Amino acid sequence: MFNSIHKQQSWLSLIARLILGGVLIAAGALKAGNPAHAAMAVRAYQILPVTLANVLGYALPWVEMGAGLALVIGVAVKVAAILGGGLMLIFIIAIAQAWARGLSIDCGCFGGGGAVAPGHTAYLQEILRDTGLTALAVYLFRFPHGKFGLDKAPQA
Amino acid sequence: MATANKNGNQSKQPQQKGMRGLVIGMIIFVVAVGAAFAVISNQSIKSLKLPSSVSKADGYGITFNPTGSPKIDIWEDFQCPICDRFEGINGNYINQVIQAGHAKVVFHTMSFIGPESILAANAAACAANSGKFVQFHAALYNNQPTTENSGKITNPWLILIGAAAGISDSKFASCVNNGDYINWTKNIEADAAAKNVNATPTVFVNGKELDRNTQYMDPAAFKKALTDAGVK
Repeated sequence: MFNSIHKQQSWLSLIARLILGGVLIAAGALKAGNPAHAAMAVRAYQILPVTLANVLGYALPWVEMGAGLALVIGVAVKVAAILGGGLMLIFIIAIAQAWARGLSIDCGCFGGGGAVAPGHTAYLQEILRDTGLTALAVYLFRFPHGKFGLDKAPQA
Repeated sequence: MATANKNGNQSKQPQQKGMRGLVIGMIIFVVAVGAAFAVISNQSIKSLKLPSSVSKADGYGITFNPTGSPKIDIWEDFQCPICDRFEGINGNYINQVIQAGHAKVVFHTMSFIGPESILAANAAACAANSGKFVQFHAALYNNQPTTENSGKITNPWLILIGAAAGISDSKFASCVNNGDYINWTKNIEADAAAKNVNATPTVFVNGKELDRNTQYMDPAAFKKALTDAGVK
């Protein structure tokens, strides 16, 4: 009984790692190829001072790819889950404030970003997607050890 | 060997730990180098080849009537469909204002939509060197591909657009092919980033942004915004 739950958990952890990690790698890679647009996407949220927003826009895709890579390989899963989940929480807050303030922007999550025409926003879908990804991060923080990971569960 | 095997778990663990540390170290290294490179390579370049009629003080934009007033800044990307619409609605009027010398007009040809925007902006700078920026600008929008980065905008294609705009000198073709002003496009982008330009087109009149919802796509409202600012 315990064994079968344990077995399911380790497969679930693998799936969660691959989904969250894969999304982070894709999001990072799509943005890293066009840093000017990535920086524009961050500026459009109108939260950070412009200089800081630009630096974040240039650097963030690499942090996403790093966290995603760690998750897919299964190394330092707990830390990567905190990082990935933390990013998702920040994204949710940033998107929600843009929505609340009536800005018309594209989240720029997978490249693109910047101002869009009113009525062309997708805030709810973006928040729901990021909420799901946050849930995966929480699960991985609780159960970091899964199939095919470099991190090994401590021997009982 | 046989005894080591029996205790395989214990003898394997330090090795695994080393492997784990190595992988973590490599990931951190790649992230740090990639992020640092991205930040550094997107800063404005101090000394670089500039096309004619560029005003450094105006964010390296292609500038007409540098001593005129009021000042109109236009940020655009040659691949942006809304810029094409804007050009269709207000392009003729803007060109009239430039020709009559009724305003200082600065074009900031951004390239955030992708590699083909960089090629187009480089070619536009080459056209400025030939004294045909305005004509090239119009011809390029007239022929704007319907999808972005579809592979249609290439240097040979841009040279044809140049010919359509009446550019016949051979310097233009070599300028386009050599990518003489590719680095300059980075400075335009860095300046737009510093000025918090987050969409194209973006129009500033005397440093103040026009209202995107009412003054961009209505020719009468656009004209009024300019005449209110002192354009005759």
